[in-house]
Amino acid sequence: MTAPSGPATVTGPTAEIPSSTRRRRRPLTAALPTGTALVFLLPAALLFGFFVLYPMVTALTYSLYSWRGTSQESFVGLGNFVQLFTAEPYATQVPRAFAHNLLLFAGSMVVQNSVGLLLAVVLHRRRRFKRLFQVLYTMPYLVSPLVIGYLWSLLLSPLFGPVNALLKTVGLEALALPWLGDPSTALWVVVLVTAWQWVGFPLLLYGAALGGLDQSLEEAAELDGATARQRFWHITLPLLTPIIGTVSVLTFIFSMEAFPIPYALGGSTGSPAGATDVMSLLFYRTAFQSGSSNAIGTSSAIAILLFLVIFGLSVAFNRWFRRAERRLT
Amino acid sequence: MHRRRVLASTAAVAAAVLALSACAPSDDAPDPGADGGATSAAGSEDCTEPVALDVWSWRTEDKDAYEAIFDVFEEANPCITVNFQAYKNTEYNQILQTGLTGSDGPDVAQVRSYGLLQPLVEGGNLAPLDDVVPALAEFDDAILDGARGKEDDALYGVPFATQTIQVFYNTAIFEEHGLEEPETWEDFIAINDTLEGAGVTPLAVGAKDAWFVPTVHDALTAAQYGGADFQQALREGSTDFNDPAYVASIQTFADLEQYMPDDVVGVGYTDAQVLFTSGAAAMFAGGSYELAFFQSSNPELELGVFQVPPPEGSALDHPVSPGYADGNWGLSAASDNTEEAETLLNWLADAEFGQMVANDLKQFSPVPGVEFDEPLMQEMWDLYQENPAPYLLLVDYRYGDPVGTDLMGEGGQQLFLGELDAAGVASKIQDGLSAWWTPGQ
Repeated sequence: MTAPSGPATVTGPTAEIPSSTRRRRRPLTAALPTGTALVFLLPAALLFGFFVLYPMVTALTYSLYSWRGTSQESFVGLGNFVQLFTAEPYATQVPRAFAHNLLLFAGSMVVQNSVGLLLAVVLHRRRRFKRLFQVLYTMPYLVSPLVIGYLWSLLLSPLFGPVNALLKTVGLEALALPWLGDPSTALWVVVLVTAWQWVGFPLLLYGAALGGLDQSLEEAAELDGATARQRFWHITLPLLTPIIGTVSVLTFIFSMEAFPIPYALGGSTGSPAGATDVMSLLFYRTAFQSGSSNAIGTSSAIAILLFLVIFGLSVAFNRWFRRAERRLT
Repeated sequence: MHRRRVLASTAAVAAAVLALSACAPSDDAPDPGADGGATSAAGSEDCTEPVALDVWSWRTEDKDAYEAIFDVFEEANPCITVNFQAYKNTEYNQILQTGLTGSDGPDVAQVRSYGLLQPLVEGGNLAPLDDVVPALAEFDDAILDGARGKEDDALYGVPFATQTIQVFYNTAIFEEHGLEEPETWEDFIAINDTLEGAGVTPLAVGAKDAWFVPTVHDALTAAQYGGADFQQALREGSTDFNDPAYVASIQTFADLEQYMPDDVVGVGYTDAQVLFTSGAAAMFAGGSYELAFFQSSNPELELGVFQVPPPEGSALDHPVSPGYADGNWGLSAASDNTEEAETLLNWLADAEFGQMVANDLKQFSPVPGVEFDEPLMQEMWDLYQENPAPYLLLVDYRYGDPVGTDLMGEGGQQLFLGELDAAGVASKIQDGLSAWWTPGQ
């Protein structure tokens, strides 16, 4: 993630490809004997295997069986997956929750990442108080998202919330809405609260990338008479493509996995009336709050489906961004 | 470099926490010999080595009280020691499932009721208690339903807490406006009108939290749709949720919205609690579990409680108190100390234990013959005993996916938002439940 600010990019993005290819070709044993290298890799591999791979494989096998409570019954192949699209309530709730995840992603791209980029560019150009503002914008990122969600639900309460009280005081009564009680606004509140918390994340990544860009290109363009806007659109932005790709893919993953903020703002059912329901909430309800005998099978199928969507689309995004990167540079 | 060091130490701390938490259950599992020796020294000479029972619970807040309660049991049964272990409520189901299927599990554990009990019953993790705890025969049948296996009808738990659903009211506000507990539906509406006219929110309701919506619906209208009679009719298959009486109860719920806070779907459950405890609202339709919170958050608050009388033309001609079993003590099928665990379970079904639950934990023990120090608790319990009704959607409709309470939660929100009418909400519930339930099943 911090690669663009490292020495590889100092000579410009075009120089990065051959240097990294060269590094990849260098055999492991050139730095360390194979045995020693394996010893160093072992702890991480064990932890990864135990805490990541093992649960994933377990979830996959769970999803292929039918369950009676906690006892595993017969092998049903893709039966649990088919059920997600054919049997109620999943046939209605899976597409609805999935659509909300995608809206959350779209909203985050528009609000969180564009604001993050704007703030990063502004802070990059202004040296004064740069650190202070970086810290301030990043602070919400350090607080638990459950706490953030809960605080915002208090702030937005139509009875006691200061947000509506303030709107009424300044004469904007028409905007003093039940933000979390109206299906047409609730999901956008989730988007905005998420953006409010995470804006520091793209800000830091873009800031680091901007710091690593070759200044001579911009200076040359300036000497040729390019305006600030032209320099941003035609020099800075294309050079930022790799980091935009990284931020987009990470935002996609966060949006698809969103749980704490929707849970704190709308509860496990995605209130109001399912308007903030997302895939992780659906998983949570199915796994821990349903009385279904096959809860483990169905919820594991939801988890695997979600993983496949995230993995597949992340790989596709990555490829697309890499192609775009090559075209631009 | 500095940042990398911070990252490295954070990672080290995280790894240590992970490792610790992974060890937690076995570390926390008390050593049978540790305090067993003391008890045996003080106890009878019959047992050479006392047997340690592991007892699990989700009531971390009651840990001290339970330990004191189990001291009483240990005194009477010197050959048994109880190692009480409480886990976080939200993680308990998972921990218990793992414990009961593995080797480090409890002998006796608090288990959920009704639908949420079934995964453990179906998985064969619990032992049936019908023949083990004879005192269960004396318990209220409706409460025992919370401990039954859906398929074999056997009892898999000793109920330990019950909740009732009624309407709390602020007696000071009632006195100020010359109001009394309602005897008829017209009285109830008149109370609401008077309070509204005086600028007091009559009903503190928050419909933003979907789980709370069916509770309020039952508190206000259970008698209108028929309470236990309607439950029976559904069980027999002679009606379904599209029944006119049930639709009418939802219509009543919609009609009462005018007495709730504005934009009620945007108002949270905790907002509703604050409205009531701060004196900004006069009535709160909810469960008996609210009492302790109301009293602790505003000790000045003077409380009364009543059942909502049904309107003209209702299925019942008298008000009812919906109620439900909140949890049970179950016996692990994998326990190595079955005999001692059975002794403990019989004590948990005894009035001595029930009375301590009532006095020390301020909960409604369903053990027959228990009395309550707190007059309001006694009144709520008496109301329930006189006119019991099931908290219908929780009691019978949590045995599949979707659960009835979620359907009513979402349907009730749509009702208040104007997206569905009463008949639409009823058919949403019926259609949703039909994924796993047919009337008469």
